[in-house]
Parts: sequence; C-alpha cells; structure tokens
Amino acid sequence: MKISSIEYASVKAYDELLDQHLRPRAVAKPLFDYLSSLDEKELQDRRHAVEATIMAMGITFTIYSDAGNIDRAWPFDVVPRVMSRREWEPIQAGLKQRLTALNMFINDLYNKQQIVKDGVFPIEVLKGSANFRKQCVGVTPRFGAWAHICGTDLVRDSDGTMYVLEDNLRVPSGVSYMLENRQIMKRIFPELFRTSTILPVDDYPTQLYNTLAALSPRSGEVPVIVVLTPGIYNSAYFEHSYLAQQMGVYLVEGSDLMVDENDVVYMKNITGLQRVDVIYRRIDDDFLDPEVFNPESVLGIRGLMRAWRSGNVAIANAPGAGVADDKVVYTFVPKIIKYYLDQDPILQNVPSYMCMYEDQRDYVLKNLDKLVVKPANESGGYGMLIGPRATQAERDQFKELILNNPRNYMAQPTLNISTAPTIIEGQLAPRHLDLRPFVLQSDKLYATTGGLTRVAMRQGSLVVNSSQGGGSKDTWIVEEDV
Amino acid sequence: MLARDAENLYWMARYLERAENTARLIIKISDTLLDIPNGASLGWGTLLKVAGLDQLYQEYYDDANENDIMHFLIADERNPSSILACVKFARENTRTLREMLPEDLWERINGLYLYIQNNLQEASKNRRNKYMFLQSIISQRHAIIGLIACAMEQDLAYHFIKLGRSIERADMTTRIMDINYAISLPEDHPLFEITMQTLWAGILKSLSAFQTYRRLKAFHVNMPDVVDFLFHEKRFPRSVKHCLAEIDACLQLMPQSEKIIIATNSALTNLSQLNTKAMNLTKLHEYIDVSQLYLGKIHQAIDLVYFRAYETQASAQISA
Repeated sequence: MKISSIEYASVKAYDELLDQHLRPRAVAKPLFDYLSSLDEKELQDRRHAVEATIMAMGITFTIYSDAGNIDRAWPFDVVPRVMSRREWEPIQAGLKQRLTALNMFINDLYNKQQIVKDGVFPIEVLKGSANFRKQCVGVTPRFGAWAHICGTDLVRDSDGTMYVLEDNLRVPSGVSYMLENRQIMKRIFPELFRTSTILPVDDYPTQLYNTLAALSPRSGEVPVIVVLTPGIYNSAYFEHSYLAQQMGVYLVEGSDLMVDENDVVYMKNITGLQRVDVIYRRIDDDFLDPEVFNPESVLGIRGLMRAWRSGNVAIANAPGAGVADDKVVYTFVPKIIKYYLDQDPILQNVPSYMCMYEDQRDYVLKNLDKLVVKPANESGGYGMLIGPRATQAERDQFKELILNNPRNYMAQPTLNISTAPTIIEGQLAPRHLDLRPFVLQSDKLYATTGGLTRVAMRQGSLVVNSSQGGGSKDTWIVEEDV
Repeated sequence: MLARDAENLYWMARYLERAENTARLIIKISDTLLDIPNGASLGWGTLLKVAGLDQLYQEYYDDANENDIMHFLIADERNPSSILACVKFARENTRTLREMLPEDLWERINGLYLYIQNNLQEASKNRRNKYMFLQSIISQRHAIIGLIACAMEQDLAYHFIKLGRSIERADMTTRIMDINYAISLPEDHPLFEITMQTLWAGILKSLSAFQTYRRLKAFHVNMPDVVDFLFHEKRFPRSVKHCLAEIDACLQLMPQSEKIIIATNSALTNLSQLNTKAMNLTKLHEYIDVSQLYLGKIHQAIDLVYFRAYETQASAQISA
C-alpha cells in the first residue's frame, strides 16, 4: 500500500507509526511487513469483510438529526495504532496515579475541604463549579472512590510527549468500541496476531464487573448489579446493552427501578420486586433523581439519592463525581497529585491559561488566534474555539463570552497532535488521533491495556468525536522483540 | 426477568402476529370483493367493526371506502394495528431486547420494516402488486418465527413470545372468521348457496387452512363445519383451541401462573359450549364477540400477574 507522501509533507505532526523519513518505526515494523505482503485486492477484500462484520455485529451509534434518529455503523480503520509496552507502562502508572488523587480530591471537597483550607485549591473555583452537588456533602462512598470509571483523553504533541487532554469522570463512553475493534481485527487479520505479541484487552468486562461488585452494600451475597440506560434513543445505547450483556447483568431504564420508604432500591421483575445493590448509571447527575435534581426528569428514579446517601445502594460513578471533570479544575490536577500523594505527576497536563485570573485572561484575549478555548463543563468537543482556524467573528464572540463568565473558560496552546497512517482512497494518509484509556477504581485500581484510539477521518481535522465524524482504530500495546 | 422486558417480548410477538394476520385479513377482503355477485355488497363499515377499528377510523376519515380503508389497514401509522405500525413497534421492542434474542432476529425484523417502507408505494398501485406485497410480508414473518423456533432457548423469554403470539393469533382467527358478517346477500339470491360456499372457502384459504380442513374435517365447505374447525380443531395451529392449548402449555412451565391458568380454562369452557349446528352469521358474530372477551381476560391476567407484579408487591410493602 502506497504512503501518501504529498499529504505527509503537508503535516508537521509526530506520526505514531512512521518516522520523519516515512519509514516504519521499530514497533510498527512487523505490521508494515505484513501489510506490504498483501496486494491491493486482498486488502480491499479484508476491508469489505470488516465492514460486513461491523454491520453483522450490529456495532452502531446513534446520530440525532431532523430526519429522526439513525443508527450509523462505527467507522473503523484497519491500520492499528501501535505502541510498545515499554512506553505504555509509565502511562498506565500515570493514569492510576491521577485517578487515585482525583478520587481523594472529590472526597475531600464533599467532606473536610482541607485542600481549600490549605490554600492549594481556590474557593472561587469551587464556588463556580456547576458540577459540585450540595446533595453529596458529607458522604464518603466505599473505598473513598467517587469516580469508579474514568476515560482519560491523551494526545501526543509534535515533540513526542503524551499529554492528558481531559479527565472524563461523569459517564465516559467508548470502551465497547475498544473491545469490538479488537474482535474485528482478530476475525479479519488473524495472521497479524501470530507475527506480533499483542497484549490482550478482553478482560475489561470482568474487571468492570469486579469493580462494581466490590461496591455492593450487602456483603456475603451475590450482588445484583444493573446498567442504567436512558434508553434506545441515547447515542451510546449500543454500549450500554453490550456491557450489560458482557457482564451478565441487567440492562434497566429508570422506570424499571423504584425506591421504597425504607430507602431501598428495587427492580420490577415478573415475579415481584428484587433488591438492587449496584447501579452502573449511564445517565447524567441532572437526571438521576427528580426528587433532588431536575424535577422534570423521567429517566431517573425518585428517591435514588436517599437510597444512596443511606448506603443502601452503590452508584457508579457516584453522583457529584463530575466536580473534578471540569476543564478549570483540570488545570489544578498536577497540584492535586502533589498535595494528596506527595508525588510528581507522571503524566503531563497541557499548559493551560485560566481566564478567571486577570493576567492569564489578558494573555488569552490577546492570543485568541493561537489558542484553543474551552468551556469548563462541556464535553464531546462542543462549545470550543480553535483559534487558528476560527474566523474573526467567532473570535470576537468568544471574547465576549469569556468576559461575561471568566470562571467558565480556560485556554490551551494549539497542540500539533500526532497522526497515524489511515487508509484514505487506497493510500495511507496521516490522520490526527487521540487515545482514551479507561481506568477503574474501587477496592483495586485497573487501567486498560491501551484504550480506544479515535481518529479524525477528514484531512487536517482535529475533531475525533464520533458525533462529529470521527472513526477509530484498534490499539496495540506490543512486546518488542528482545 | 425484568417486567418491562417480559412485556416487550410479549408485545413484540403480538405485533408481529397482528401484522401477519392483518395481511391475511386484507387478502381475504380483496378476494371477497371479487367473489360476491351482483346484488350483494360488502359493508365497509361492518368490516371495520369486525377488525375492531371502526371508532378509530371515524376519527380520521369521513366515509368508509376501499382505498381509505386499505391505506388505514396497511400504512397509516395513526392506526396502531396497521401493518406498518405493528412492524415498527415490534422493531422498537426488539432493539431493547437484542441481548436475549437470537442474533439474526433484529436484522430480520429490521429487514421486514425496511421492506414495507420501501415497497408501500408500489404496493398501492394495483391489486396484483398489493397481493405480492402482502404475501411477502407473510413469508418474511414465517422466517422470523422459524428463527425463534430453531435458534432460541426455550426459556422464560421464549414463553412470553409464545403467549403473545398465541393470544393474538386466536383473536385474529376469530376476526377473520367474522368477515363474512359484513356481506349482505339476500337468501333468495339465485347464487346464494354457491357464493356462501366460496366465501367460507376463502376464509379457510386466507388462514392457510383449506387443505387441512379437507383432510381433517370434510370435503364440502359449509359454515357450521368451517366454524367448528376454526374454533375446535386442536391439530390446526391457527384454531382457537390450538392457541389456547399453547397458552396453557406455556403457563404450566411458568412461575406464579395460577390466575392465568384459571382465565385460560374459562376460555376453554366457553369454547366447549359452542354449538355450530344452529349457527347463522349473526349468532356467530355475537359468539365471536364473547370469545374475544375471554381472550381479553387472559391478557389482563398476564398483565396483572407478570407485568405489574411489582405493583401488588409494592403496595403490600407499604401497607405492611
């Protein structure tokens, strides 16, 4: 397969698989040897087989549009992203370190607020947080863990450094695609798995089950665990159904559960009520319980917060965990790690400017054409400004937004995020990508081997979100030849 | 099993059965129009009553004519019993149940839905196209049943599917049997005898029952024998008796089914009291109404015992 040298010449980013002379890096050598052994037709056949497999496996996500909701097949590129185990291991350790500190931070905020008293975390930031839930004050969930499932977004800059872009602590999604991508590759390219030592990813559902089971308030019994979904119209419904199926637990909607006057949660079965111990919820805090949050919510369960506060049910992620999933709080994470663990952060944050501080705000406003500006509480790539690509009118609009609510904005230099060769019209062309590993914490800590690689399929695009035309690749952590 | 999942399985099966039988009903109506002689007429209003859709129809349409009724029965989504609406509901239900159904089932039902959507226009052009379209829906439905029969573990989920299918089938068999009630043909009409014979043979054919009737019941087609056959012939899978026996067999294997078994036994008793000897179309119509009420009571019992079991238990907990 031909490498598109024209496209590569126009992109000055680090490439995950090719060096600056467009030769395969050592980790990608066996992969390229194999790919070059296939002729055009063979490769084309395999790609068709991949598409057919995706359709047959029913791997879809839902797009909302005026024409009604449609299920789209998940765009998948057959060239995997490859990383050596030697490089991966410190990243894995960094992810665990980060989640440990973040959970200590969340627990502190809802209890003593020592970090605020010690002057490390400013009270103004806490006050401005939309995701701080006063209903959670005074609660300490089991193991002090609030964010049990975390999806951390990593990107690599042009000098090869990996940065944490954001910590998704609310309801991160994508892990089912990580698992399915591997299944597809095994089915369609089995030969590859013989030539390289690719570390497996398949233990995630077991690890997730164990993480959830450890949270059960009733010890000694097999816990009743449910996945709580907003329903089939949610874009991640496929994943909810998939995870429930993989773990062998119930997939429920809010109307399937009820809380009685003793603050115990039950599931409505055909033979009556069955007690529920652990809820892996895939709906936002706002919709969890109409009694305390959004009263209009029909997705949640009336009384759920009472049951959780009484310790009769575990909720993962815990309500209120999103307080640490805020792009302004993000900028404090290195300090948070130092404060609670007395360690230097293993993973780097992207240097960030906080608009709440006057000097930093002035810098941001003067350099809007060089920076990426992000609102504190949005996810999915919505509501941000990519300065260098924006029009003057868009930059002026953001200036206004920042001045009206400085606490809500932070800015970062535009990273030249890395690329990997991706099949585009029969050639290998560079496409930008990120990496979302998933990290679990309850009685134990666990991080996936690799994660979900999301790739922006359009030339030059930096937006990898599936809702905005992104695709994905299998992610290989490989044992290098000794 | 979650009550909602059980209810979705049950309704998925009912909707698919209803879609198939509505197709059968329409084929039968179309044939009838060809079979009745001059001097006889088909009462469109009565026909809607037989289908149980007269009130809903009047909400949306001014008068009862062939074109509007055909559209209403096949493609009008405001009619929850139209073929399109039934398959759409079944498809939505199946999506929430994918993890407990055979892998290909979703694709089959999705395929049926897409087929209907893509061919509606062509089907409405003429009677021949419509006939091909309806036959295709019936055979696609058969493939779906085949998949459930061959590839699904015969556990609770399977039983709920079978319950839904059997109740709906028994109900639709009685409705199709009732179509001739909509014909007005004077008894002194010279073609009365032969026409009635053709019409009753048409009922049998629309239920794929003609050959079986000849083998198991009689060579000649007449109303008492046809009615007796479609109610009582246990060996024929679309007869009311067979459907009730299927329901009973499921219930024997299901938990807490006592109340539903009682309701099923009442329906069986009612069935045994039917005397087809002195039957006429009006008496048959009245008897069919009563039979549908008995089926309705089985449905209510299923609903109360399984889909709303938690309500009883929740209120018991609160009063305790």
